[in-house]
Amino acid sequence: MSPPGKPEIIKCRSPEKETFTCWWKPGADGGLPTSYTLTYHKEGETLTHECPDYKTGGPNSCYFNKKHTSIWTIYIITINATNQMGSCSSDPRYVDVTYIVEPDPPVNLTLELKQPEDKKPYLWMRWFPPTLVDVRSGWLTLQYEIRLKPEKSAEWEIHFAGQQTQFKILSLYPGQKYLVQVRCKPDHGFWSEWSPESSIQIPNDFTMKDSTVWIFVAVLSAVFCLIMVWAVALKGYSMVSCILPPVPGPKIKGFDTHLLEKGKSEELLSALGCQEFPPTSDCEDLLVEFLEVDDSEDQQLMPAHSKEHPGQGMKPTHLDPDSDSGRGSCDSPSLLSEKCEEPRANPSTFQTPEGIEKPENPPKNVTHTWDPQSTSLEGKIPYFHVDGSKSSTWPLPQPPNQHNFRSSYHNIADICQLATGAAGASATLLDKTDKHAFKSSKTIETGAEGKAAEQREVESFPSKTDQDRAWLPPQEKTPFLSVKALDYVEIHKVNKDGALSLLPKQKENSDQTEKPSTPETSKEYAKVSQVTDNNILVLTQDPRAPNLALFEEQAKEAPPSLPQNQAQIDLASFTAPPGNCRLQLGGLDYLDPAGFMHSFQ
Amino acid sequence: MLRAMGRDKASLDRMTFDNLTGSLLLLLLLVSDLLLCKSVASLPICPSGAVNCQVSLRELFDRAVILSHYIHNLSSEMFNEFDKRYAQGRGFVTKAINSCHTSSLSTPEDKEQAQQIHHEDLLNLILRVLRSWNDPLYHLVSEVRGMQEAPEAILSKAIEIEEQNRRLLEGMEKIVGQVQPRIKENEVYSVWSGLPSLQMADEDSRLFAFYNLLHCLRRDSHKIDNYLKLLKCRIVYDSNC
Repeated sequence: MSPPGKPEIIKCRSPEKETFTCWWKPGADGGLPTSYTLTYHKEGETLTHECPDYKTGGPNSCYFNKKHTSIWTIYIITINATNQMGSCSSDPRYVDVTYIVEPDPPVNLTLELKQPEDKKPYLWMRWFPPTLVDVRSGWLTLQYEIRLKPEKSAEWEIHFAGQQTQFKILSLYPGQKYLVQVRCKPDHGFWSEWSPESSIQIPNDFTMKDSTVWIFVAVLSAVFCLIMVWAVALKGYSMVSCILPPVPGPKIKGFDTHLLEKGKSEELLSALGCQEFPPTSDCEDLLVEFLEVDDSEDQQLMPAHSKEHPGQGMKPTHLDPDSDSGRGSCDSPSLLSEKCEEPRANPSTFQTPEGIEKPENPPKNVTHTWDPQSTSLEGKIPYFHVDGSKSSTWPLPQPPNQHNFRSSYHNIADICQLATGAAGASATLLDKTDKHAFKSSKTIETGAEGKAAEQREVESFPSKTDQDRAWLPPQEKTPFLSVKALDYVEIHKVNKDGALSLLPKQKENSDQTEKPSTPETSKEYAKVSQVTDNNILVLTQDPRAPNLALFEEQAKEAPPSLPQNQAQIDLASFTAPPGNCRLQLGGLDYLDPAGFMHSFQ
Repeated sequence: MLRAMGRDKASLDRMTFDNLTGSLLLLLLLVSDLLLCKSVASLPICPSGAVNCQVSLRELFDRAVILSHYIHNLSSEMFNEFDKRYAQGRGFVTKAINSCHTSSLSTPEDKEQAQQIHHEDLLNLILRVLRSWNDPLYHLVSEVRGMQEAPEAILSKAIEIEEQNRRLLEGMEKIVGQVQPRIKENEVYSVWSGLPSLQMADEDSRLFAFYNLLHCLRRDSHKIDNYLKLLKCRIVYDSNC
């Protein structure tokens, strides 16, 4: 027998924000019948009220109806337990109806299987808000959630439905029985309980048409992928090369780099398209006519303008737009002249420092060591800027004739040059070389030393790689040309290598070209060593003289080692002396005066 | 009637008679108005009657409801965080009774009262409550910033609420302009004087001041949200949400 224990308010809840109910838990009753009362007072009021309804909410509850419910007001609620021995009050509980809203579950959940004709079948469910909640006036706004599962499954699949009161389910397993439930939540309240389960049986023939189609598609694509993989595996490379063709390396049609390495310049050059140098028919003419030295200012060796050797194995690259058409190689000062356009072959034409520049790093190569740094330079006949040398007969860059003939002419001219002053020529070349390129040459110019140097270098020259050798001709031409436009070239001999050796006839030329005296005297012209079958005029340098460029077009025999006095000149390349005649030298940039010098030596 | 003050007796008699008639007429008018006004929904909402008015009202209300809903969510979260962090065991809830500065505004306390209020009045009421919170929100932000270990969550929410409240006010003024353009109400609102409390040196008192402010904010934002949803369903959807 004791006073009752302290009761405790468990929960207060409003289902629609218009009424609310509170439940309490009684404490120990002390062995005596205990009565409980609920008292409360509202915020802002001093009056204490008692619970208006103990019944509606069940035992130990208090129901506040609409009249007694105020929203946005705090209720201070207390439970009083009283028995014979005494009474006890609970702690006051502060309740604001605004925040205790928990509605009833939605009602009337209906399920329906719908199978429209040209659409996928689905499960359609529909429900209604709990009866007490006033949604229409907007007093409460409800959001819904549904969940479903096959009967035997343990996991529920939950979907949020927003404020709508219906929902569609698309993915269902046929032949299963599904259970569905729905619940709701007010805009600022708690979730309701789940509604009672509704069930529906999915018929066995619930179509899976879409699945079949997709399975089919998936299988097809898998097969396709397998085939692709297999094809790639088998022919991977060819496919790849088909899709991504390899980038072709630069090639000259018909040009075999291996030949170059081997030194088979003849074949090489023939591959490059030099044909018939010199043209057979015209060959003799060339030899005859173009060997005449013209004393005129023009220094045109050749009167044979007419002798335009069209396309004698000229490489297109050799075409120089020299307006001196028809001039022979020997006399074409323009050959070496920078001004290709000018009909005159001036020694000044020689001077093409620019032309000289054309070959890459001519100075370097020319200077000092004839070192085969630039393969292109080696063996190339340097374009010399023969200052004022009338005999700008270096048929270097600009053969008087354009295009093809040039090459042939040049060759001749080169021969002339060679003849006129092989040694000197080289020296001259060196002398005349443009300052840029041939500064070094000056070192060589100095007379004998130069010559000796040249000799040395010449000797070293052959040691150059064959490759250099191969490119000799182009440059070599220039030296020849630059020797003297007015020199007669005497065909001295044709050595075994097929080198055309020409003997320069005049010494004055050499003077003019500022060649060192010594070289002049000793200069030798290249000798035509032979004319090969394919119209190759092979010039060889006079042994005494520094190497002479040898003309050789499509030299069948690659000059493996260039004899000191020999240099093989590629006619084609000859025609396009590097740089001097900038104009259309095209691909003869590699022709370097320095190389020419080499050749001479 | 006042004009009759300075007249002679005969005119006064006439005036009295006129006054009586006038007041009778006025009475009749009021009664008829009351009878007619039984259903507030019957009053025209868009005075101009243009279709655009109806459509834009719907959008304005939708937007306003979204804002008010959002503001209440933020306020509720802010209050809960403050309660959990600072107010545990201090018994603030017992003291925060009848302490909101907006209680002087006579707002409806249940659904029936809210449904009986004319929508124009309800709109104005909403405006008043919104305006009453401009100042407190501003100071709330600055004072929370100055709090020791200013709680980032609470501060960010306070800042957000202040901005959204301003936006809601603008929207409400637009709605009012469309619904009742002819009435231009003086700006009435409740003055908040709780700033000194927020700046008190005593930590307990200061914290209670914050608690009280946040408690009142949560309640008033809920009121505004509820009223707006009522008005929306009533005006835009004709009580058929």
